[in-house]
Amino acid sequence: MKQAKDTLKQIRRSPYQAIAAALAMSLTFFVASIFIILIFGGQLVLLYLEQRPQVIAFFSDETKESRILEIAKEIETTGLSKEIKYVSKEEAYEIYRERFKDDPLLLESVTADFLPAHLEVSAQKVDDIKILTEDFRQREEVESIVAPEDVIGKLANVTRTVRTAGLIFVSVLIAISFLIIIMVVGMRIALRRDEISIMNLVGATRWYIAKPFFIEGALYGIIGASIATFLVYSLLLFYSPQIQNFLGPIQIFPISPLFFLYLWLAQALSAITVGVLGAAIALYRYLRVK
Amino acid sequence: MIEFQSVTKKYPSGQTALENIDLKIESGEFVFVVGLSGAGKSTLLRLLTREIIPTSGKILFNNEDIISYKKDKIPLLRRRIGTVFQDFKLLLTRTVFENVAVPLDVLSKGETEIEKEVSLVLEKVGILDKSSSFPVQLAGGEVQRTAIARAIISKPEVLLADEPTGDLDPKNSLAVVGLLEKISKEDKTTVIMATHNSQIVNHFKKRVIVLEKGKIVKDQKEGRYEAG
Repeated sequence: MKQAKDTLKQIRRSPYQAIAAALAMSLTFFVASIFIILIFGGQLVLLYLEQRPQVIAFFSDETKESRILEIAKEIETTGLSKEIKYVSKEEAYEIYRERFKDDPLLLESVTADFLPAHLEVSAQKVDDIKILTEDFRQREEVESIVAPEDVIGKLANVTRTVRTAGLIFVSVLIAISFLIIIMVVGMRIALRRDEISIMNLVGATRWYIAKPFFIEGALYGIIGASIATFLVYSLLLFYSPQIQNFLGPIQIFPISPLFFLYLWLAQALSAITVGVLGAAIALYRYLRVK
Repeated sequence: MIEFQSVTKKYPSGQTALENIDLKIESGEFVFVVGLSGAGKSTLLRLLTREIIPTSGKILFNNEDIISYKKDKIPLLRRRIGTVFQDFKLLLTRTVFENVAVPLDVLSKGETEIEKEVSLVLEKVGILDKSSSFPVQLAGGEVQRTAIARAIISKPEVLLADEPTGDLDPKNSLAVVGLLEKISKEDKTTVIMATHNSQIVNHFKKRVIVLEKGKIVKDQKEGRYEAG
């Protein structure tokens, strides 16, 4: 406890280095939080899209129901589909009527014959959409196909790119924070060199000498992670209506407070590790305390 | 209690600081280690605190070979030996009280205990009224007393003093060494004091070990020292 107090006293004596170290940590983990949320959001959007029918095959009017059901069975045996739903002309008309119940003009101009029977298929994997689309395309009974394969594929690509870019960017920022911690703790060691030498001579253990510097490194980590999580939480809270509006039917709000708690815990642990490791390297480098 | 067995110390520069030293110091003894500058006095004291290790030979402290100590045992050894350094090594940004409290901080003692023990020791060395002064505000002799207070605060078995009267006038020198003698008598502390001040040595009539070019040339009870 006393050493923690002494550490705070040391920080107060030269606060600018401490502010620089804490800000570097905050920036690093703020950017990390943004990337985590983007990846998390991307996964939610992908999950939503994957749960929708991804390939819709419309059949010509001449195709009999029994033939469509046969095709559905053939598709099922390929193992590429997660779910296949047959929608007859009548059911399609019912759906149409329900959707446009407030627009009598549209209801009057369309009858059940206008709407083709179709199969709605969800794929097992994003990559299977292309194969399923191709399969339907080769069948002469199929008149047209709607497949958002490009949207899902592109989104999956974007998520992968965001993940890779995030990893690289955050790694660079962590490296910078790491160097700043080494520099700041190194300066503190240099400032306290006489005191350390005396403590050494009066019987202080290596751990006793090193502990305040480890506490300092860990403190920068905790402050950095806390500021970062608080900023991200505030930003999401502030912009949640706009984000929800942009995402349309994909519900991601309200985000559970537990998510932020876990985010803070994970970030605090990572930041403490960065801080303590930085301090350890500074101690090894400047003090030869191992 | 302390035994040097054929101890030789050569520095990397090639200089032989101590050569084949055989020496025994009993518990509670007061010993002057004398000699000219460069005779090996400081080296002898630094070997005892394991600041340096000998090139050859053994050093026993309470029958334990301190040279074979692993790194993590050295702090425990240093807690049993108080040292008054030649340059005093006081922290200029800390008060007398804070300087004296350092060894107790290291032992993680509580604030109340530190407060009590530091006050007692400062009273013993006669500078309780200087408790909140900084080292630069102290007069001749007070700096030495602060250093002695720090050295004895953790009640060491051995007290090493390396030229503690270096910059002092004769009157203050006598007072400082008188204080060391009092500590030795009252607390049964073994005191080893390195000096080249013959007046002091001859005044106190204690055991005198004379070093010359790293060798013991004289070891006398109630001995005398004629410098030069």
